[in-house]
Amino acid sequence: MTESRCETMRERLPDFVGGRLDGADAAEVREHLDACPECAAEAALVRLLHTARPEAPTDLARRIDAAARSARRRVYHPWWGVAAASVAAVALGIGVISDDRPAAEVAGEVEVPGIVVGAGETSLWVADDGLVAGAPALEGLSDEALLVLLQEMGTETTGGAA
Amino acid sequence: MSHWDEPDPVSDEVLVRRARDGEESALSALVKRHADAVYRVALAIAGDPDVAQDVSQDAFLKAFRGLEGFRGDAAFRTWLLTIAANAARGALRRQGRRRETDLDAAPPVASEVRGPDEDAVLVSEAARAREALGRLPEKQRLSVQLRVDEGLSFREIAEVIGSTEGAARVNYFHGIRKLREWME
Repeated sequence: MTESRCETMRERLPDFVGGRLDGADAAEVREHLDACPECAAEAALVRLLHTARPEAPTDLARRIDAAARSARRRVYHPWWGVAAASVAAVALGIGVISDDRPAAEVAGEVEVPGIVVGAGETSLWVADDGLVAGAPALEGLSDEALLVLLQEMGTETTGGAA
Repeated sequence: MSHWDEPDPVSDEVLVRRARDGEESALSALVKRHADAVYRVALAIAGDPDVAQDVSQDAFLKAFRGLEGFRGDAAFRTWLLTIAANAARGALRRQGRRRETDLDAAPPVASEVRGPDEDAVLVSEAARAREALGRLPEKQRLSVQLRVDEGLSFREIAEVIGSTEGAARVNYFHGIRKLREWME
């Protein structure tokens, strides 16, 4: 048995053991193994390794598949995220400026934890830049509180801005 | 079960093209076909079944995100396994520890060796061989594993482990020789 012949056969052992050789090639390897104890011993080792190869947990492919589909939808529908952020921003603004009446007192209101949205609300002031602001937030302030607020904003209370 | 066990008429190349076109079932087919191989590579490097599962998911997601940039110079499987190997090395670095073989946490072996009592010796020897495989240096370990488990050519193995084809061949045969010595 020549060394180069054994080398060629040994390279093919993983394919032979794994059933990846066609009939003629498999027969050639089998014939060699019958005549070469050294290569047969190596084939036995390769067979042991192959038969004991680990398998992924049964649900791994399903979990990966679900994660891949989810990730793909996020990539292909980015407007979902934008829309959700917009809704949250508007809702947050509404919560900030809404009045402090108990929710139950306002007919037609939708309650969300931390946020009160008045379905019939007419006193909201939506600025051109999309921010929610308005006079309602200042309505309940006393003259003193209003003065402090204006001073904090750096606005002169008399004489107006230059 | 590896993809070799049941012929599938749809090639990876076709599935990748369909996946690029937005066909979700193509993604599923690629996952189903390659999950075992990706998991094995991740396990061979990370050494921990839980980490290997996380790495496997990470590798598939990275690969799918990069499908548009996949040039097809390498086979999809080789490219995917390279991503998995890199992800596993990254996970290992983040953990800040060396890979350790934990026999108690050894993964289940393939179903073909689970069986009646007469196969007990074979099962035991096979487990011992895998345990010995886990003690080889990483490049030898991966070269043997990718050749035996996945049927990769030495050129493909070289791509995954980041070496030349000749070095992959040498790593494989050195690894096999050591295993034979240890198993005697």
